[in-house]
Amino acid sequence: MATIIETRGLTKRYGRLTAVADLNLQVEEGAVYGFVGPNGAGKTTTMRILATLLRPTAGEAWVAGHSVLKDRRGVRRAIGYMPDFFGVYGDMKVWEYLDFFAACYEIPAPTRRGLVDDLLELVDLAHRRDDYVDALSRGMKQRLCLARALAHDPQVLILDEPASGLDPRARVEIRELLRELQAMGKTIFVSSHILSEIEEVCTHIGVIEAGRLVAAGTLEEMRQRIQAQRVVRIGLMARAEETMAWLEGQEGVLEVEPVEPNGAGDLRVTLAGGDETLAQLLSGLVGAGFQVTAFYEETGNLEDVFMRLTKGIVS
Amino acid sequence: MIERWQAIFDHPILWLELRRIHRKRWWPGRRFFLFYPVLLGAALGCGVMSMLDDSLGTRLAALVTSVPLVCLVGVASWLLNFALPWIAPTLTATSIARERELGTFDLLRATLLTERSIVLGKLGGCLARLWPGILTLALLAPFQVLWVVAGGSSGLSSVFLLADSMLDPGRPWMWSSLLLAGLAGLLRPWGDLALHATVGLFVSALSRSSGKAIAVSYGAILATRVAFYLLTSLLNIALLALPVALLDTPEAAMNELLMMPALTSLGMVLVEFVGAALLVWAAVWWLKRT
Repeated sequence: MATIIETRGLTKRYGRLTAVADLNLQVEEGAVYGFVGPNGAGKTTTMRILATLLRPTAGEAWVAGHSVLKDRRGVRRAIGYMPDFFGVYGDMKVWEYLDFFAACYEIPAPTRRGLVDDLLELVDLAHRRDDYVDALSRGMKQRLCLARALAHDPQVLILDEPASGLDPRARVEIRELLRELQAMGKTIFVSSHILSEIEEVCTHIGVIEAGRLVAAGTLEEMRQRIQAQRVVRIGLMARAEETMAWLEGQEGVLEVEPVEPNGAGDLRVTLAGGDETLAQLLSGLVGAGFQVTAFYEETGNLEDVFMRLTKGIVS
Repeated sequence: MIERWQAIFDHPILWLELRRIHRKRWWPGRRFFLFYPVLLGAALGCGVMSMLDDSLGTRLAALVTSVPLVCLVGVASWLLNFALPWIAPTLTATSIARERELGTFDLLRATLLTERSIVLGKLGGCLARLWPGILTLALLAPFQVLWVVAGGSSGLSSVFLLADSMLDPGRPWMWSSLLLAGLAGLLRPWGDLALHATVGLFVSALSRSSGKAIAVSYGAILATRVAFYLLTSLLNIALLALPVALLDTPEAAMNELLMMPALTSLGMVLVEFVGAALLVWAAVWWLKRT
């Protein structure tokens, strides 16, 4: 797959504050790239640079082969940008809003009418075509803004926190929309704090903290990375405390804790090692006479990746 | 050439403002446009009468019949000359700053619109909101021209009325001065409008808050006006003192006395237009830089 977004040594400073420091990022064509990081990590700054709204202090970035410094128009033609905080012209009708932005993308007037209807269909707002934008709910405004970003059929979508401030239904709708756009072949570069939302749609993840990219890769690679320390859940019939004591003496076991706060029932064991260690631990438990009802590995989710990789420096 | 004009009128921001204006029904009605030819015809009649018959009686009759017209048009002109340039900064100062406050400015900048296009579109949009005033001012311009050509019997200012009664209209210096002063008088409100509007626009390009942008714009305009006033006064004093001191004949000195204030006024109008163009350029430069 070809690289569609690339940054090399991207740096942005505001006086003494370094918002983005020597960021090297690569996003493949057709990927849904989740850009994750705590507040103030530099996600929005990076996205604004990619959207040609900010000039980097140092380094360079390219979107669809166009330099954000030398060919801003080419970049703008290639991207659809949706900022984290955006306003709408409340005194315009929904169709007028899209028509206006389509005109800003130099789409000729005869083409615009059909285009507006298609976009409204896509984001499921066709029934609100003649309503004023002010009358829409936040979720609808978010979808309208997404439709606006799609007006010129861009190759890349840069979406900054598209699900922030939305109720669960609106979040699901946005997620479905992202899936649909992915199926249409769009490359989506998306940031979000709601990690579980991203996890369900993205193919790649980049974790940024204090302006630096601390980890990047496919979702699977990131999961494998955290599986260097595996978490196993063990279900027991009885003798939980005895089992805990036994487990603490075993090789590779880093931590044993009860799942329930009162110490009864299941245990969560953190251990270092591969499948062999897991198998030995299970056979050892059974051999020692403990009645095991369940033995399974807890898979790490994106939240675990995030928590392990970031240190909360900015926060 | 046609494509270039089409590009100007197809400007999305301009259309956005025109849509808003249309929705708010800012339209003076058909009567206004019926009234205008009648008014212009009457003025033209008075002018033609005074030109064809040079007798005192006819000129006096023309003057008397044109008095209500002069009052009406004069007051309207004066009000518009004053009001338009002082209303315009409120609109332009809020234009870009308000977009920033709303969070729509980034959306605009992320499109294919260039910074120059955004700035000019905003300026055009703001001026379009003032269209009833601008149109009326433009429609009043022929009256001013007419009165200057017909003998300067009214219109531009009481100074020329006085000059007309005092001096022999056959002398070319006087007519040149009158025409130059007339031209300056015609262009002055447009120069004021352009300068004040672009000061507001420039401040708006720099500002993040529309309230602050308005306050700073009016402060800057007041400072500019004081500077202009002082500069014009100094220039006039210098230019009027010069002929009296250097020229031999009183007639030559009188010619200079007539010509110089007119030239100064015209020069100031020119400075206003150049200043407006520079401010637009500066606003574009600032937006490109950030």
